[in-house]
Amino acid sequence: MKHKNHLLHLSTVLFLGLSLAACGGSGEDESTNNDVDNSDSTDQDVVVVYPSFTNVILSGGETSATDTNESGHGFSTPAANLTQEDFDLHLEGDANFEMKFTTAPNENNPELDGLGPVFNNADCNSCHQRDGRNSTPIVPEGSDRVLLGTEAGIFLRISTARDIDCELGTAENEYCAPIPVHDFGTQLFHRGVLEARPDWQDNQFIGQADVYLSYEYQTITYSDGMSVELKRPLFAVENPYDSPGESLDSSNVTSELLQEDVLMGWRNSMPVFGLGLLEAIPESHILAHVDVDDSNSDGISGRANYVFDAVKAQAGNDNPVSLGRFGWKANTPSVRVQSLGALRGDMGVTNPLFPDESVAGTALHDSYLTRTGFVDIGSDENGEPEANETFSDAVVFYAETLAVPARRNVDDIDVREGARLFDELNCTGCHTPSFVTQASGELGGKAMSSALKGQTIYPFSDMLLHDMGEGLADGRPDFLADGNEWRTRPLWGIGLTQTVNPQAGFLHDGRAATLEEAVLWHGGEASSSQQAFMALSGVERDQVIDFLMSL
Amino acid sequence: MKYFTRTALAMALITTLTACGGSGSDDSSTENTSSSFSFTATETITNLTDDVIVAGYENLALQGDALLLATQTLLNNATTENLLAAQAAWKAARAPWEQGESHIFGPVDALGIDPHLDSWPLNTSDLTKVLANNSGFDAATIKTWNDDVQGFHTMEYLLFGNGINTNEKSIDELSLSQREYLAALAEVFRDYTASLADAWTVSYDAGNGAAYADSLKTPGENNNTFYSSNLSVIQELVNGMIGIVDEVGNGKIADPFGESLAQADTSKVESQYSWNSLTDFSDNIKGVRNVYEGEFLGSSDKSGIVDFVTAADAKLAARISAEINEAILLIEAIAGSNDTPFRQAISDVDGRVRIQAAIDALSTLQTSLENDVIPLLSQWDI
Repeated sequence: MKHKNHLLHLSTVLFLGLSLAACGGSGEDESTNNDVDNSDSTDQDVVVVYPSFTNVILSGGETSATDTNESGHGFSTPAANLTQEDFDLHLEGDANFEMKFTTAPNENNPELDGLGPVFNNADCNSCHQRDGRNSTPIVPEGSDRVLLGTEAGIFLRISTARDIDCELGTAENEYCAPIPVHDFGTQLFHRGVLEARPDWQDNQFIGQADVYLSYEYQTITYSDGMSVELKRPLFAVENPYDSPGESLDSSNVTSELLQEDVLMGWRNSMPVFGLGLLEAIPESHILAHVDVDDSNSDGISGRANYVFDAVKAQAGNDNPVSLGRFGWKANTPSVRVQSLGALRGDMGVTNPLFPDESVAGTALHDSYLTRTGFVDIGSDENGEPEANETFSDAVVFYAETLAVPARRNVDDIDVREGARLFDELNCTGCHTPSFVTQASGELGGKAMSSALKGQTIYPFSDMLLHDMGEGLADGRPDFLADGNEWRTRPLWGIGLTQTVNPQAGFLHDGRAATLEEAVLWHGGEASSSQQAFMALSGVERDQVIDFLMSL
Repeated sequence: MKYFTRTALAMALITTLTACGGSGSDDSSTENTSSSFSFTATETITNLTDDVIVAGYENLALQGDALLLATQTLLNNATTENLLAAQAAWKAARAPWEQGESHIFGPVDALGIDPHLDSWPLNTSDLTKVLANNSGFDAATIKTWNDDVQGFHTMEYLLFGNGINTNEKSIDELSLSQREYLAALAEVFRDYTASLADAWTVSYDAGNGAAYADSLKTPGENNNTFYSSNLSVIQELVNGMIGIVDEVGNGKIADPFGESLAQADTSKVESQYSWNSLTDFSDNIKGVRNVYEGEFLGSSDKSGIVDFVTAADAKLAARISAEINEAILLIEAIAGSNDTPFRQAISDVDGRVRIQAAIDALSTLQTSLENDVIPLLSQWDI
């Protein structure tokens, strides 16, 4: 036992030394990400070289969660370095994140009213379960599809196709924003308050339309004979409010929603930790990775999305456009726009940044207001939105300051080998290991918490758009992102995904039940890396997954 | 999930700074292996999974069956006796649910069962319209409706009335439509509680996936993507205990209690219609006791978190046990000698003194769990 403790002590010293290197200070040059800083000599002749991120533990720098990073609480912990004042604000936002809204007016609990009139869920937490991903819908046994209901954390983005691609955003083309489907908008709300629809007595609590999900399957086989079954979720939209009972199988399709030029794509809910750190990455550091013309001929381009910024617009900026950072296609510029956009969109709760209902001006909304006597107009008697500034600021701050879980098992040899292979396969070509956050500045137009400043972080994302191939494409452009492009998903914390929520899936529509499936879905610019992964031995493939599970 | 007080955060920060070589930290504090301890957690995890968590959910499913039966009986025969029996069945179902909130992870969250069963507040205006707009109800339809017109609290409202002046309801006040809706709600409730138990014992995804209990009992084995080690399971359980202690002390009790009598807010009281609030709160902490001790009160001694803590510090283990029991006693004592419901106690001067005592006891327990038990996870020589 004494001997063991001695070994432990040695390993602790080694670990500490490596951690110090990993934690680093501000000003680390990103180009050093793959520098050799450690190696293992397996015999006298062969020296195995590991990338520098191999030993990193604190993926979120000083914000990292170290007491909950093994369990399902790993995404739900406040940044470890918050001041008392920031900590109190975070807790206030935490309560708001779980607040379940009800139909307005609610005389007993007026602070909770404002839901809808159409929406996807009634509180933040129901989609971002335990601050992570939503559950993948289960198709009941004996059925080939499932109707999205109250537990669904997935929804459809919708828009009308443009006649020609939008490549340069201007005020006239609304900065290439998706074109709303007339009388519906840019997001399909499958739920509603009791009387949301004109035909509510036959469609109680139903939103703009019914949405069904089914799966199609395919098998992919490795050269060693091992195979993996992949599934892809399909959608069917029926019973739209403007033509109740109608579907694409109807003899005469009249609904605006079911026209041929309407584009639709699934969107899963994403984890909400570490977001403030991502927003604090200097824009120039992200743009340094842009390689539109693939000048280094690695098959990977990387494009920036530039999107409408409601914060700038509200401040009167003549050019309300910013670098897109959040959302599956980097279609929102900040945690503030993303969070308050979801509050207004996903839940139908108006707020200071988005004071109008997302369905304002549609026939459904007009009918709802008239039918219900204008008691739920999206603002109170003083003209204030349903969620006030205090509520909104707190919930945004919460999402900005959730800690990134610290890594686990970094000294496991398989994890280390997986890190080496991850680098060797050029996964790091898009999943950029590290950035240093800015030392000062604002997030979403508000002062940035000191906890987020100057942190060396390991998100494993370049925050840029990449063509991921036809297999993943949804064919729906979003600002400058085309129908094949997706923003590189940060990988930090990804190993805890199913600890947090055992029913969670990966990728934009939750199609991948495992990380291996997610890797296999990579195409387009990631084809070379995907094929290199498939060429690995079974042991090596497992090592790559072990590395991902350690994040 | 507001699971951490400032003190715990400060400790986490110290740990982080130490790992990052922050100034002023004493490296020897993180290298001190003299405080490490050994503990084999397999038996604890197996027992807590099978005999506490699964046993609790199976009991909940049984109570769901009984509640459905009681509401069907009430539907078919509207008598005072049957109403009282349905009220009792509701309370009986409430107990295992509230105790289970000490381990609210896994299928209860993944399957969306928590909001289906326990959404609060309910939407009384929609409820009124639903009752008026429908004749007859079926469970499948109700499952597509919003959570704020179903679950425990909607059934509670129908069974007990609005709870403002009394938690007694005359059978004459219960309409046929209300009884029909109650029975349909109870069927939905029964289905969800059965699904929850099945997810733990048959398949977590109602398909090819393994029983969730099996995954919890075999961390790190067979490509287990849920739990990677015994440490991950124990960390889950301890943080779950902290979570519900925090929620009861700083949410369920503190929110309606307010900072002064003038700020007391009855609209925020959980289970205000049935006046079952104090039972809810004490059951929450009894759930903590179940996980900590490893058995339900009165059952034979089995391995629980207490054994993990004892392996490190027997005195601490005993103190935590005492603090849990003290918190339960002080929550129950809020009722005082007049059996005052919580919703009334928050507006009563003497009641507020008793409530503050319970809050203090919960705060003490939470601090101990965060500051004394959580650090043991990193001292554990696993």
